[in-house]
Amino acid sequence: MIKLIEKIEGEAKLNFNFKEGKIDFVDIEFMSTRNIENILRGKNAFDALVINPRVCGICGHAHLIATVQALESCYSNLKLSNKAKIIRELTLNFELIQNHFKWFYLTMLPLFGHKQEILKATYPSQLMGKAIAIFGGQYPHTSYAVVGGVVCEITEIDIIKLQHYMAETLKFVEENLVKTKSENFLTCEDADALLDYEGDLPDILRQIKKENLLEYGKSYDRFISFGHNSYFKKGKSLKAKITHNISVLHVKESEMPSSFAKNVSFKDKYYEVGPLARAMVNKTPLIADAHKKYGDSIFSRILARVCEISQLLQHSKELIKDLDLSEKSYIEPSIDISKLSSSGYSAVEAARGTLIHKVEIENGMIKNYEIITPTQWNLSGGTKDKHGVSQKAMIGLSDVKTAELVFKSFDVCSVCTTH
Amino acid sequence: MKKKMRVLWLSAIACNGNTHSFLNYPYMEQFLDDFEFIYHPVIDSEYSLEDIVSKEITCDILLIEGAISKEFKRADVSVVDIIEKYSKIVQKIVTVGTCATFGGIFRESGYEETSGLHFDKEEPLKTHKDLLDKTISVSGCPVHPEVLVNTLYAIKKSAALKLDNFLRPKEFYAYTVHNGCTRNEYFEYKVDNHRFGELEGCMFYDHGCQAPFTHGSCNKILWNEVNSKTRAGVPCMGCTEPTFPRQNLFSTKKNMAIPENLPVGVGKRVYLTLAGISKAFKIDRLEKKLIDD
Ligand code: SF4
Ligand code: SF4
Repeated sequence: MIKLIEKIEGEAKLNFNFKEGKIDFVDIEFMSTRNIENILRGKNAFDALVINPRVCGICGHAHLIATVQALESCYSNLKLSNKAKIIRELTLNFELIQNHFKWFYLTMLPLFGHKQEILKATYPSQLMGKAIAIFGGQYPHTSYAVVGGVVCEITEIDIIKLQHYMAETLKFVEENLVKTKSENFLTCEDADALLDYEGDLPDILRQIKKENLLEYGKSYDRFISFGHNSYFKKGKSLKAKITHNISVLHVKESEMPSSFAKNVSFKDKYYEVGPLARAMVNKTPLIADAHKKYGDSIFSRILARVCEISQLLQHSKELIKDLDLSEKSYIEPSIDISKLSSSGYSAVEAARGTLIHKVEIENGMIKNYEIITPTQWNLSGGTKDKHGVSQKAMIGLSDVKTAELVFKSFDVCSVCTTH
Repeated sequence: MKKKMRVLWLSAIACNGNTHSFLNYPYMEQFLDDFEFIYHPVIDSEYSLEDIVSKEITCDILLIEGAISKEFKRADVSVVDIIEKYSKIVQKIVTVGTCATFGGIFRESGYEETSGLHFDKEEPLKTHKDLLDKTISVSGCPVHPEVLVNTLYAIKKSAALKLDNFLRPKEFYAYTVHNGCTRNEYFEYKVDNHRFGELEGCMFYDHGCQAPFTHGSCNKILWNEVNSKTRAGVPCMGCTEPTFPRQNLFSTKKNMAIPENLPVGVGKRVYLTLAGISKAFKIDRLEKKLIDD
């Protein structure tokens, strides 16, 4: 049975194979591509800073940050101020947060039989958009991070404005998502205790428990995360055993016969990326507890994503304290890009997981560009003897509706996948 | 009960940037009281994409996001066929964003004959000429949410919008992006010492700012209600224009030290004369830092 899955920033086709009333195999097909990698070839390297945010409307900023870091890695002695690093990290955090609000209120709620909450999605995500715009001039699609730093100069007044947007977002979380002081939510280490709270998140988690959905969405219990910064650690987690020593060099992309999306594996194995992966690698107590009790299920996946909103707001508050406004925002690179022939790569944590950009430049022109998006990780697969992460999570379910819920619990983005 | 206008949001070859820009419209509640989507890429709708392509559902406005090629499909149907079907029944068509209007970045996607609905870059197309009277274009990569929403309200009110040669409402596109930039004084007095990461300086002379010849309201209706690219220090990339994206976006193309593209309507010779005079001013305030000294 073929089902068109919609409203995942585009569409995909899931071809379900049933055996004895249970899903035996799912073929995932993306029906189009936009060829961004080809568009980039032959262009000036810096133009990638303008083109790449257009890979995706909802996580374009992650693509900007990945681009700028990939280009910077082509230089051998580039200097960045701490201030620029912090500002970039802040805006990336804000993008993740806006994504999570939209995913929870627009995509997830309806799958649990609730009404889509458009205003609950747009109000806080607009605040985060404003926060990015203070630095970037606009959101979506800014190109404010350039090789050498960021183009903006920030004053105390900007910081004050920013803090107001963050406080208002936090207030929204405390009045809607989890109705408690965020300190309580952030220090809670017991996933079951969370079920006693009021709010849209506990409501959904309770519903999962009540409707016996706790076993749904389990996959390999194998997680990976590459985009480390002051908050996220790099590493992999295999049945909760964590290793930090991993290299992007072992990440491989391969073509998929039935789809425009390419497979992605690490040492020939498929891994889950995203908030749950990050929380596992970071050993976030609440998520580790959910994982201990309910495994890599939709319960843990939803909790991890929504929980990241509060964590990133909290961490951003700390980051602002470290900002030294007297530092430079931008330090001009010592060589002009037109004199540079080199290659480099970057890994960034985007809303949906690890995003990798690889670039090769010749005299400042792009010779080759490769993008590996988070959804590619989670949706890789294709063969019956080697299921991808989301494929495996859907196998054994008895109806297509639940499979769609499991599928969408990965926060699938068709636009990114078909870059 | 007042009647809601029925809107179909169709994505062609797109990044969904316009979709998410639209979600930033601050008065969404009011908007949803007045309009309903028969389909939208993320907002729930009464119909599925499969319904949209297989049936003909009544609709008042067709919104197209993304570049268009007959080779590109949605739910297995060519977007051109979907557009043709709905364009017959709707009152108005709005090309949302630069891709749907001129082809934009995804004009280079590699699909057969990819372009905007009526234009391939500046070039008017022969196809869909019968729809010219129905179409309004709101370009931008992405479109500003207020430009889109208020254009829809103008349609609802049956207000006669004056359009420019590219079918863009003049109320938004008669301005240049340069108008309202906080760096205007540096432009006027030809203080050309802009450096990234600073509040001072104009990006026209060295860093590729295209605002003086880009039609749009970015510095008039601020983005996200707080800022604009050029105020923040990002050069305007000219994303509302048919020429977007030009190459070498962060530097200014010059002929004998004069920017090749001059502000709309300004001749080279006049500009040179003006530049000579302006430069003679040497305004101390503009040579110094704005805040700390
Ligand atoms: S930076 Fe651009 S928009 Fe601002 S004054 Fe200069 S040319 Fe105009
Ligand atoms: S400032 Fe220029 S590049 Fe930015 S959105 Fe406006 S028209 Fe587009």
